Formats: sequence, C-alpha cells, structure tokens
Amino acid sequence: MANYEVIVRRRRIWGFVLLGLALLIAVLVFAGRSAPAATNGGSISLSLKAVPTIRSVTVSPSTASFSNCTGGNAGADTASTSSALGYPNGHCWVGAPGASGSFPIKITYQGPPGQVFVVGADASPSGGGPNWALCNPSAACTGPGGAPGADQYMLKNFGTNTNSSTGLTGSLKCDQEFSSRGCSATQGQSEKEGIELIGPQSSGSTSSSWTMTVTWAAAPPS
Amino acid sequence: MHLRRLLAAPLAVPVALVALASFAQTSDASVGVGVQVSPVRLGSMAHRGESYALSVDVVNTGTEAEAVSMRVERLSRGSARTVPPSWIQFAGSAVQIAPGKAARVSLELVVPGRAAPGEYLSDIVASGSAAGQAGPGNLGVAAATKLEFSVSSAPAQGGSSFPVWMWALTGLLLLTVTAFGVRRSGLRIRVERGSSHRDAVGHQGEPHG
Repeated sequence: MANYEVIVRRRRIWGFVLLGLALLIAVLVFAGRSAPAATNGGSISLSLKAVPTIRSVTVSPSTASFSNCTGGNAGADTASTSSALGYPNGHCWVGAPGASGSFPIKITYQGPPGQVFVVGADASPSGGGPNWALCNPSAACTGPGGAPGADQYMLKNFGTNTNSSTGLTGSLKCDQEFSSRGCSATQGQSEKEGIELIGPQSSGSTSSSWTMTVTWAAAPPS
Repeated sequence: MHLRRLLAAPLAVPVALVALASFAQTSDASVGVGVQVSPVRLGSMAHRGESYALSVDVVNTGTEAEAVSMRVERLSRGSARTVPPSWIQFAGSAVQIAPGKAARVSLELVVPGRAAPGEYLSDIVASGSAAGQAGPGNLGVAAATKLEFSVSSAPAQGGSSFPVWMWALTGLLLLTVTAFGVRRSGLRIRVERGSSHRDAVGHQGEPHG
C-alpha cells in the first residue's frame, strides 16, 4: 500500500512580504500624522444630527383636578359646587374651551412622524361600589337626550385647534384635538388640551371621591 | 410676644420659599413614555408550536418614576392578521423606570400549534403612569411600536421529527467513519517547518541554466 506525505512549508519569502507591508503601513501612518504639523493646520469640530430612535409622548402635569362644575338638581340638594360634581349629569372641567379658554394639559410628541392617540377609562370610587362606565357614541349613553345614564359618565377632550371631540372611548383612538391636521404628529410638536366631564344621571356608589385616567399615546403612522 | 414675632419673621421666608418650590415642582411634573421606533420583528419565519424570545426598548421621558406596563393591541392598519394577545408573554407585570432612564423589556412569542400561516401585525403598547400617584384625574401616557412576523406553513426545522440530539449523533458517526477511513488508507499528513538549511540544500541540488 502506497504511503502519502503532505508537507506544509512556511516559506521565507512570505516573511519578507509581511515585513515589507508592515514597513509600508508604518511609513503611511507616519506621513499621515506629520502632514498637519507641516502645514500648521488646526482642527474643526463637526456636528451630526441623527434620526430619533425612540417615539414618545410626554404629558404635563401628571395629574389634574376638575373644577368649575355646574348642573345638578338644587331642589334635591345635589347641585354641583365649583369643585364637586352634582347629580344628575353635572359638568366639570379641566381648563375651559373656546378662544379665550384655558388648556392646562400639555402633550408633547417626540420621534419620527407618527400619531397621537387618546383613550379614557372607567371612573373608580375611593369608597367602594360600582364604577362609572365610560359612555360615548360607540358605547351609548342611556340617560335622557343621550346624556350619561346611571353609573355612566362621559369624557371629552378639547384643544386650541378644534373642539370636535364626541367623547373618549375605552380604546386608543386618534386624538383629533392634537393638531389642525388631526392626530398626525411630528418631532417636538406639542399641544395644549383640556377635558370636559359629564357625570351620571345617578350613582350606585355613595363615594364622594372618584379617580379616572386619560391616556395619550404616541403611535407609528397608519 | 415680641420674641415670637422676631422668630416668626425670619422663618416665614424660607417656609414660603419651600412651599413655592414644592408647588412649582408639582406643576412642572410630567409623565412620559417612549418605545423604540423600529418595529419588533422576528428575524426568520415563525413555526407553529415554537416560541421565540424578543425584546423592546422602553424609556421614561417624564420627570417622575414610572411603572410601565406592556400589552399587545392592534393600532396599525394593514391586511395582515392581528396577533392574538395571548401569543405574547411579557416578563413581569410592570417595569419600574426612573426618570430619563431606559429599560429593555423581554417578551416571548409563543406560536400555537394550530396557528394559521401568514403575516401577522399588531402593536406593542407601553403604558406609563406616575408610580404611587392617584389623583382625581390621572393623566397617563403610552407609546406603541409595531410587532411583525410571519408564521410558516412548513413544519419547524429541528422539530420533533429530527431533534438536535439526532443531528449531533449523526455528526459524531460521520467523524468516526472518516477517521477510520483515513487510518485504513495509510494516508499520512505531516506538517513540517521549512528551514533555510533545507532550502539551501534544495537550491544547490537544482541544475542551473
């Protein structure tokens, strides 16, 4: 049977080639470094802008209180006071709509062009009992004339651009009040908004303190 | 009485300043949340019955510590199927993020065995609220990024029909056969360092011209 032998040799010529390459690189580096000194040059500062990699929304302040409450039934001793909602179907406000209104909630969008959405939620009593469910055109209010019924309430946001909100829903929807172009948003765009609350016809809970959350969301373009 | 007045006057100024500062801090407080712009995508086709690890970057852009919770909700339009929320499992119910800080949230995509093949699209929504605050009107924030992947109609590679250990065993068997074959053939492989002496001898032995 034949024997095979494979011999791998490291040739000296490659050693010289590698040495030559190293010398060439060293000369180039040295020449490149010494060139500015020879021309007595200076340095320049460069600035670069990069596209945002985060899409965000920031809301200020983080909490708000309703005030300027109106409505209710004075005959039944359930009329609204300036800071407390009355029954039936009292109105309370965060800010005030209109040309001379006030818009205390600032919403700021950061990121590439996208959208701002808004969503409401049920109101929770601090003292126990049933929540007030959010009602709106898609979750019909059962009170007289389309007003909120028993244990129902309505939230509407309004902005400086328009006041066309038909009521917040329990799922994220385009915030039509955010800009004159609807809910589309660009880098650094901000808008001031307020909220209107319409209370229930009657409440199953005797609690006098309620909490609810309105959430703004930054979303990709549709 | 005079002593009390004398003490009250210098104390009133700092107390008023502290009160003013705390009020200003409250009025300047903000809540904010952001998520990565780039969609959360699966690098390859998803296979039925398999699970995949994914992650999403979340940032607290507000001035207060936030508890950020994650969920899956379809916001984006498109013809792709909606990802059932039950397919996505997040690690933990909420992530605590300090103001100005970011966190990477891990999630797992679990594709059921009976999932319909095709393209899927939904959004990962990060919702933030100021931790520990419960005012009468809480203002919340959220940010969404797309979740995209495709489910293959083909069975998973490396699935139950031919698991990983079978591949390893096959590889080991092939190596053994190759080694045995080389040994039986008598083929020898020797690595030898070249020396100047040997080169010189070689050159001397070659005919000139």
